[in-house]
Amino acid sequence: MYLYNEFDQTLVNERVEQFRDQTKRFLEGDLTEEQFRPLRLMNGLYIQTHAPMLRVNIPYGLLSSKQLRMLAHIAHTYDKDYGHFTTRQNMQFNWPKLEQVPDILADLASVQMHAIQSSGNCIRNTTSDPLAGVCADEIEDPRPYCEIIRQWSTLHPEFSYLPRKFKIAVSGSPKDRAATQVHDIGLHVKKDAHGKIGFEVLVGGGLGRTPVIGQTIHSFIAEEDMLSYLEAILRVYNRVGRRDNKYKARIKILVRETGLVTFKEQVEAEWALIRDSNLRLTNEEIQRVKSFFKPLAYETSTDDALKQNLANSGLFRQWFKQNTREHKQNGYRIVFISLKSPHRAPGDVTTEQMEHIANLADQYSFGQIRTTHDQNLVLSDVKANDVYALWQQLEKQQLATANIGTITDMICCPGLDFCSLANASSIDIAKGITDRFSEDTTDIGKVSLKMSGCMNGCGHHSIGEIGILGVDKKGEQWYQLTLGGSDSHQSKLGERLGKAIAKDAVVDAIDNIVQVYKTNRQDNEKFTSTLQRIGLQPFKDKVYDAH
Amino acid sequence: MTLIRHKEIVQDDWHYLQDGQSLKPSHNIVSLDYWLENKTRLINEKEPLGLTIPGHEEVDNFVDDLQYFSLIAIEFPTFTDGRGYSLAKTLREHYRYQKEIRASGDILPDQALYLTRVGFDALELANEELAPLVLNKLDEFSVFYQPHYTSK
Repeated sequence: MYLYNEFDQTLVNERVEQFRDQTKRFLEGDLTEEQFRPLRLMNGLYIQTHAPMLRVNIPYGLLSSKQLRMLAHIAHTYDKDYGHFTTRQNMQFNWPKLEQVPDILADLASVQMHAIQSSGNCIRNTTSDPLAGVCADEIEDPRPYCEIIRQWSTLHPEFSYLPRKFKIAVSGSPKDRAATQVHDIGLHVKKDAHGKIGFEVLVGGGLGRTPVIGQTIHSFIAEEDMLSYLEAILRVYNRVGRRDNKYKARIKILVRETGLVTFKEQVEAEWALIRDSNLRLTNEEIQRVKSFFKPLAYETSTDDALKQNLANSGLFRQWFKQNTREHKQNGYRIVFISLKSPHRAPGDVTTEQMEHIANLADQYSFGQIRTTHDQNLVLSDVKANDVYALWQQLEKQQLATANIGTITDMICCPGLDFCSLANASSIDIAKGITDRFSEDTTDIGKVSLKMSGCMNGCGHHSIGEIGILGVDKKGEQWYQLTLGGSDSHQSKLGERLGKAIAKDAVVDAIDNIVQVYKTNRQDNEKFTSTLQRIGLQPFKDKVYDAH
Repeated sequence: MTLIRHKEIVQDDWHYLQDGQSLKPSHNIVSLDYWLENKTRLINEKEPLGLTIPGHEEVDNFVDDLQYFSLIAIEFPTFTDGRGYSLAKTLREHYRYQKEIRASGDILPDQALYLTRVGFDALELANEELAPLVLNKLDEFSVFYQPHYTSK
């Protein structure tokens, strides 16, 4: 993984001191709340329902065991012994004290981490494929490009006061595991006819109040032009993106109102002026960053012991089938650690669990951990013959729920329990769903369920096969259901099932939807395929007739 | 009002032409509307001349006249409106404007360094007490990932 040099470290250290000064001036009354707000947000600090919330960046979802131990230390020292992984591969702490945040940032800096631009109207953490570098279908590892984007976007003087937040995701495989179509900019690694690396560039995707699927603005931008093209898009957006209404300020609205063709003309006029500037990436710089992401030192290994263990244990077999994936290297497996157990809110992890996972990463997976946008973790390089021993360790820590990709592996925002924007709670609905379906979650099969506590859509409800959106009706919590969304390579927005449902009826409604699917599915048909074949009506009938 | 130019507190020789007032002999900063109405007279009589524009002004509306201005003041209506940053960068890098670009309006000391990185070389502060803090903030970072602007 990328390691800071003296330059990178100096910048992060100076940023800590900058924020320490800003916090001090705010607490002493020299900065007003209105002035401090964007400054603290640009360091990931929100003021929430109960306490500040601090969001820490995990660049493109890659953590070392040392960094995870530091997150555990922070959870223990400054918070309530747990942290929460978000849908953008970051970690949130829900209970820090404002005056301690500069110390937390200094602790983070000591392990090459930061919270820079994890919130605010600026370029956020660049996200990527959690299986980057280890999946068999990869064209090129996207992480070096993510790191280059991270550096370019960090404390960017021109783009720190954008109309609205700005999110970039990069995918290196034909199968999109980074939800690039619902980002402000999505980059897909491609190779041209000569084997030259570049990117298909998507623009104007996003979730939130107005979910939009991104459109291709350019089919191939060569790697050396990546930053100048990004800068051109950002400059046009910064100049002419709407600032009169925060709900219309995302780039997706600009692209829609301007039209893709005209927007592309504006971007490319700008690009023509800066393409040959010092933003052009040199091969040396690309290779320098790539050298940090070389293939790991894999050993030749068999999977004889694994086969034996699979034959002997049904429980292990079930978990192995659901929670591990093929590795591009023979003799290795990719192991998912489910953070969707019946014991905790989706994405939550305790101090103790973090410490154990860090140890397991050291013991079994080259000391690295990845976070996923589904709010789980991955140990990406586990020897096949070690998988059984790893599973036993995960079991002890309640980290081996065999449910990756199933209905109980749901994406969920913190909801009304923590978030000051939310209209409705998410966590107790998630608990209800987990309790109802835990027994037969693998039998139901792969169904993506995503839930947000308000229309800002942090839980990605609009791209869930089953989406749940919390709404407020005269002070009561109601839930709007959508079906048929997708976050795979062809992202698709779900369709509304019908009128909103009262809180105490939501789990039954989901159960009814699942029953219709199970009754109607043919062979191993996926939820979306069944829905496409039989239409929305049978689901509507079952859900609303029941009331 | 206090002016910081190239990391120093300096005497401001310029004056903004207020509505209903008459022009000073030189060093007037005028609005775009005033410029457009009085172009010929201003070119002949009132050098050096400055132009004040809001951060959202279209470059095309004044770029052909850049040669007549010894100063461009870009006004920030609120400190969270980042359009002026891209405007300054555009003037420096695309139009090679090499004279003074100053930031006016609602700017925070915390923004001083970013402003100078994109092309501003002078900052108008609301009051003198802010000056030490601004000077301090200009040295807050010793390293940058982004290239400094260039007008050459």
